[in-house]
Amino acid sequence: MKATKLTCMFVWLIFCSVVLTLPVSAAKGPTETIKPVLEDLTKLLNNPALQGDASRNERRQKIMSTIKVGFDFQEMCKRVLGRTWLEIDQGEKEHFTELMTKLLENAYIGKLEDYHYKSMEYVEEKVQDDRAQVTTLVEKNDVKLPVHYILQLTPRGWMVYDINIEGVSLVRNYMEQFRSILRTDNFKGLVRIIEEKNKTFEKTSKDS
Amino acid sequence: MKKIVFFPLVILFFVSGTLVSAVDRGISGQSVDLLNDEVKDNDASSVSSVSDPLEPMNRVFFEVNDRLYFWVLKPIKTGYAAVVSPDIRQCFGNFFDNISSPVSLLNNLLQGRFEDAGVVLSRFLINSTLGVYGFGDAATTAFNITPRPADFGQTLGVYGFGEGIYFFWPVIGPSNIRDSVGFAADLSVHPTSFLDWNIYERAGYYMGNKINSMSLSPSVYEDVKKFSVDPYVATRQAYSEHRYDQIDKQKR
Repeated sequence: MKATKLTCMFVWLIFCSVVLTLPVSAAKGPTETIKPVLEDLTKLLNNPALQGDASRNERRQKIMSTIKVGFDFQEMCKRVLGRTWLEIDQGEKEHFTELMTKLLENAYIGKLEDYHYKSMEYVEEKVQDDRAQVTTLVEKNDVKLPVHYILQLTPRGWMVYDINIEGVSLVRNYMEQFRSILRTDNFKGLVRIIEEKNKTFEKTSKDS
Repeated sequence: MKKIVFFPLVILFFVSGTLVSAVDRGISGQSVDLLNDEVKDNDASSVSSVSDPLEPMNRVFFEVNDRLYFWVLKPIKTGYAAVVSPDIRQCFGNFFDNISSPVSLLNNLLQGRFEDAGVVLSRFLINSTLGVYGFGDAATTAFNITPRPADFGQTLGVYGFGEGIYFFWPVIGPSNIRDSVGFAADLSVHPTSFLDWNIYERAGYYMGNKINSMSLSPSVYEDVKKFSVDPYVATRQAYSEHRYDQIDKQKR
């Protein structure tokens, strides 16, 4: 009886380890993951059918769904909030992720739409345990700018959670801003400030 | 006259050997490891913040610069850009950059970056001759020799000086003790400091350079204001990280 139980446990362990490692070993590498996402993004941005103000909503929707394939906004939020993330409930986490995604969409997609680069090279990939760094060189006006993507291995494969340009990390910048706000306000105060910020974008887009 | 023109060209060919290897190394050769520069266990408190005991005063100066930007600099920049064509503004930008080459040259040498110092010297010689007194950037367009800027704040950082407390200066903008000392030192060796100019002429030169460079690049300040919920902290953090990166790259 004891032997049967042990055999069952052993078989179960083997089964679990195979199932758990399968997606990881079958998953694409960090560069292989991010490359198609950025290529799709470039295609969308250059698609003549999606240019102009009339296609603005459709274009942004498509851009966001493409970005969400390779970018993990929840992980980004988790790192941006640090300890506070552990203190809030699931509903607050989801609401915060939604707000932050909207903020990044409002702030950066418009910028991305106006940004036309000459070329992009993938120059380096570093993997350390479950994290990776993919370095690209973006060329515009004869200047090559290194853009580093920081990724984490998740059950969905490698996902970007931070971007670093010229030493400046997107996650750390927001983390410092929020930390300063959380010192004087609580989490609800921070949420209110981000909501207000998102409203200013809605107002600007209506005005234009 | 012929001798004067010939002399820089001889030096140019002399340094070209050093130059090729430095150009080849370029920016793509620099390997950056950001995986060891992480927030541990998602704990925000594990990240060391910028030391800013003068924050209340700095925030006042930040507001002053905000008004200065929107009320004075931006209207002047917009008017200037409307009247002067981008090509001419680029020529002025090249001239300002070229004239400050001795500052970069000296700091590259102090940091032991002899190849980069060779590049700065070559660029200066090419642009002062083929580039017609520095108004053209023939070094980049014809020879693909890109700039190698260096400043004294960076030099101090390379030698291990810490950044000290954060300062936000009126007009000048974000800085810290180390970079403020560096800024003053760089000004004192800038070629214009040897001219018999009064304070107004110096201020005019500085503002002319600032307005011209603002007219050539997209407004970083307006972007920071748009993207952040606290532009003061966003600027402080971005400045500090960018300077750390510039110094760290030279230490590697």
